[in-house]
Amino acid sequence: MQDDARPKLIGSRVQRLEDPRLLTGAGGFVDDIQLAHTLHVALVRSDHAHARILTIDVSAVEALPGVLGVYTADDFSAKPLHATSRMKGYQSTGITALADGKVRYVGEAIAAVVAESRYIAEDAASLITVDYAPLPDLVDPRIAAASNVLLHEHHDSNILVSRKFARGDVAEAFANASVRVKDSFRFHRKTPLAIENRSYLADFNKGKQALTLYSSTQVPGVIRDALAEILAMPGHSVRVVAPDVGGGFGGKASLYPEEILVSLLSRRLGQPVKWTSDRLEDLLTTSQAFDETIDAELAVDKDGRLLGLKAEILGDVGAYSIYPWTAALEPMQVAGFLPGPYQLANYQAEVVAVATNKTPAGPYRGVGRPAAAFVLERLIDMAAKRLDLDPVEMRRRNLVQPHQFPYRTGSGIVWDQSGFTECLELACKGVDYPAFQAERNTARQAGRWFGVGVASYAELTGIGSRMSAAPGMPINTGTETATVEIDASGAVRATFGVASHGQGLETTLAQIVADELGVPVDGVQVIHGDSAAVTHSTGTYASRSAVLAGGAAHLSGQAVRAKVLEAAAFMLEADADDLDIEDGIISERGTNKTLSLAEVGRAVYSEMGRFPLDMRAELDLRATKFYDPEFGTTTSATHIAAVEIDPETFIVTVKRFLVAEDCGRLINPMIVDGQVHGGIVQGIGAALFEEVVHDQNGQALSASLVDYVAPSAAEVPKLEVLHLDTAARGTLGGYRGMGEGGTIGAPAAIANAITDALSHLNINISQLPATPERIYRLVTQAIEGDT
Amino acid sequence: MASHRGEAKLIAGGQSLMPMLNFRLLDPALLVDISRLPDLAQITASGRGITVGAGVCHHALMRSPELAERLPIINHTMQYVAHMAIRNRGTIGGSLAHGDPAAELPLLAVLLDADIHITGPAGDRTARAEDFFLAPLTTDLSEDEILTAVTFPNLAAGSGWGFEEIARRTGDFALAGAGAVLTLHHGVIADVRLAMMGVDETPRRLPAIEAMLLGRAWDAGVRASAVRQVREQVNPMSDLQASADYRRHLAGVVAGRALDTAWAKGHMP
Ligand SMILES: Cc1cc2nc3c(=O)[nH]c(=O)nc-3n(C[C@H](O)[C@H](O)[C@H](O)COP(=O)(O)OP(=O)(O)OC[C@H]3O[C@@H](n4cnc5c(N)ncnc54)[C@H](O)[C@@H]3O)c2cc1C
Repeated sequence: MQDDARPKLIGSRVQRLEDPRLLTGAGGFVDDIQLAHTLHVALVRSDHAHARILTIDVSAVEALPGVLGVYTADDFSAKPLHATSRMKGYQSTGITALADGKVRYVGEAIAAVVAESRYIAEDAASLITVDYAPLPDLVDPRIAAASNVLLHEHHDSNILVSRKFARGDVAEAFANASVRVKDSFRFHRKTPLAIENRSYLADFNKGKQALTLYSSTQVPGVIRDALAEILAMPGHSVRVVAPDVGGGFGGKASLYPEEILVSLLSRRLGQPVKWTSDRLEDLLTTSQAFDETIDAELAVDKDGRLLGLKAEILGDVGAYSIYPWTAALEPMQVAGFLPGPYQLANYQAEVVAVATNKTPAGPYRGVGRPAAAFVLERLIDMAAKRLDLDPVEMRRRNLVQPHQFPYRTGSGIVWDQSGFTECLELACKGVDYPAFQAERNTARQAGRWFGVGVASYAELTGIGSRMSAAPGMPINTGTETATVEIDASGAVRATFGVASHGQGLETTLAQIVADELGVPVDGVQVIHGDSAAVTHSTGTYASRSAVLAGGAAHLSGQAVRAKVLEAAAFMLEADADDLDIEDGIISERGTNKTLSLAEVGRAVYSEMGRFPLDMRAELDLRATKFYDPEFGTTTSATHIAAVEIDPETFIVTVKRFLVAEDCGRLINPMIVDGQVHGGIVQGIGAALFEEVVHDQNGQALSASLVDYVAPSAAEVPKLEVLHLDTAARGTLGGYRGMGEGGTIGAPAAIANAITDALSHLNINISQLPATPERIYRLVTQAIEGDT
Repeated sequence: MASHRGEAKLIAGGQSLMPMLNFRLLDPALLVDISRLPDLAQITASGRGITVGAGVCHHALMRSPELAERLPIINHTMQYVAHMAIRNRGTIGGSLAHGDPAAELPLLAVLLDADIHITGPAGDRTARAEDFFLAPLTTDLSEDEILTAVTFPNLAAGSGWGFEEIARRTGDFALAGAGAVLTLHHGVIADVRLAMMGVDETPRRLPAIEAMLLGRAWDAGVRASAVRQVREQVNPMSDLQASADYRRHLAGVVAGRALDTAWAKGHMP
């Protein structure tokens, strides 16, 4: 863009264009779609964690009016799809529509009833009886790792991934250390809990032999490619549409058995087939997160400099290695990000991912980094306490300094220039750190259990083609596409492969295109989430859409602008370099000659005779460009929390929460704030409330929203967010990804704040969530230990 | 109801019944909607106390000026019941008939010695709140009876009162809750009632502690022994949110705090 004086949409708090639709109930989610002759599915799900299926008795159902059929694995011949990996020794598992001969977690689908309505289907499903031969329930990953009983018979053991790596001289670092701190950390299992439950509607067109799957997915492109393979259909005959989607958080970023199932059923029956999860099914079957035990030790010199770090990471990945990310995703990312944003040369880690009889684990907002930040930030505070150093000062001494970028971490990740130290200082300024500490000390003196906690972290976002979104995953997700076009009416459409599911991409991407073309933001129609609209894409996950799709929007916007100006220059008999576009009007500088986009559009498409023949081959106002940031870019932040614990009830209240973050240039500060707020709230949930609990038989006890406790607005303080707002050097537009950070820093900051509030009892928070029950036990033990 | 005995269910606000239907815990053949019966939606004051119709919703109770004047403990306590949307639909009759051991209205009924009015094929009868709650989600109502109203007797002049509960989130069912009402005479407790919820099969009074408190001032020593005795006398259960030990601990906390407030209010002119 040459005319920099023009007011920019990029950087301004543009109201979300999708909100009038979503807030007035005019959105269209999968379950809202009503196709004629739709059939409905209810699933018979396993109530055993591990069992062989002996018989499935459907006799009570077949005569029921309104039931069209009952299907089991025997009815389908589609081959299981495996999430493959280049990782040595990795063992994959297959995904099928229904359990084949064996169930491996409570909730796994065994039989599908197809009926005229969901009511009938559910009534029928409740009449089906399944006879099981129970197998030992492998619920504890340590036991599963050593067991001869295998979840998947073709495996050598239940260990799906096992990796060790080391860098530098860890033994020497520990030998030279003045202080060594260690603990065994546990981040319990969590579920993503999107407001919209998963929902799928398959519509097979017999005449065209083509399938459309409407899916509440984050990754329509991934699902399209997977279904084409499973159904043995050409890609052009499989279309996956993600319409309005009510949140994902990673839980809708993988392929699900029900997506395969409705597709197979619709093809077989020649009618649309719909399945919508209820909340119980969501809590049992949507991919879950965390569930790691991390034994870690940190070595520090007398000045508080980090010397070395050792970690053993045991991940409980549940029953299957999820497609396409694999079981390596979460635990390997913990190992990858454990060294954090610090100068730390000597690092060794061992990762073991074990299959158990629980719901499969998958990507969840922050992937691996919430657990990594929790462990490292706790260790740093433990070391700071031993050295009697202020936690902020300890971080100040160790953060990678501005002149050290690009910095290669102990795990091999390379941080590009990012505001590590700047965020720490900005956060301290934001809370007025000395005053903040004084407030804490005053409260303490009055007998209140008040604590302050700090956490710094960095993450890789907007990952390009030189990196892998999931360790060892063979699918490269390093590019995104954008098509910008102007039609004969002068209207602008921008088509993307990403799939917005709450992030406001219809607004932010429109801002970029509008700035490039010089048109009003609400004049840009953004199409997304439709595999048929683009040649190739994967979707929206891993904080990639603003960086990758945003970059592609710049490129294709610029290309179309050039085409518009070329056509307009010809029409105005002017030089393209002398033309500006503002508010959809093209004008020649220094003259009063103007043209509207509609006039150019009409001329190009309907009056092409106005242009010379040799211009016509390229005479459309349309461009498709791909953007590949090659490596990706580093987003960083410091979170500061203040908490107060009721000394009698042990209920934790978050009193204050501030984030200072560097997500590069802000496209829309209001949307960035919203993303950070939402992330923090999920982080508060992870820190204080949310926990998926299984009993020793693998029964999910937290199977309703009474028992799975997520924070509500009343549990969240006012959230303060500060931005560096400096352009990233390595990405087009200067953007960095910012969708996940809130969830990464908040658990660590809150764990540190709670530990600080309990410091008079010498309690370390090493398990999250820190529920009142857990704090009650810790305090009781500490007091009993004292007397 | 009589023709579908055992197969029919009354539905009022639906805030407890609908979740049970959704989870397929209940499967009635007939639902009888009583939510629009005007006779059940009255709040009437009499010399003895205040009678609240079974169809009055939680929100109306919370905002009732009649109660604010005579029984403000009820207005205060109702704010802990769920969330606004649920308080706008859920009814007094539904809450009492449902009989959740951690629900506020059953606790208030027991604490305040309420009378529960019931109608059925055999005619009208009145049950004392203390005898009405039998076990979790089990009351003295038979299948063909309807709860029509509840009468809360006036509090003695100058009564102090307190209610405390601990829940994991705003609006959740309490892990433990306590209500206390007392009157003072010459600086000591002349009359006192203490009731607990969430820490036993039903809401219940703690008569031994009430007896211990009579004639005493609520000082640190008395407080400590009352708190200790509460913990000895309750029988909480464990669930995912709280172990029995932790609930027992909380029972002491809420009872102590409810009595703190009641004692302080009892001193106000
Ligand atoms: C998310 C959520 C949170 C909640 N939190 C709380 C809380 O913190 N505290 C609390 O106390 N409650 C809570 N509740 C329950 C709520 O208060 C219910 O409204 C109340 O328990 C039942 O009242 P209802 O009118 O909705 O009854 P319904 O659900 O309609 O009926 C409940 C039962 O009572 C029977 N019944 C109803 N009316 C009568 C009558 N007049 N005579 C005989 N039987 C009758 C029905 O047949 C049924 O068995 C919560 C509910 C929800 C959904």
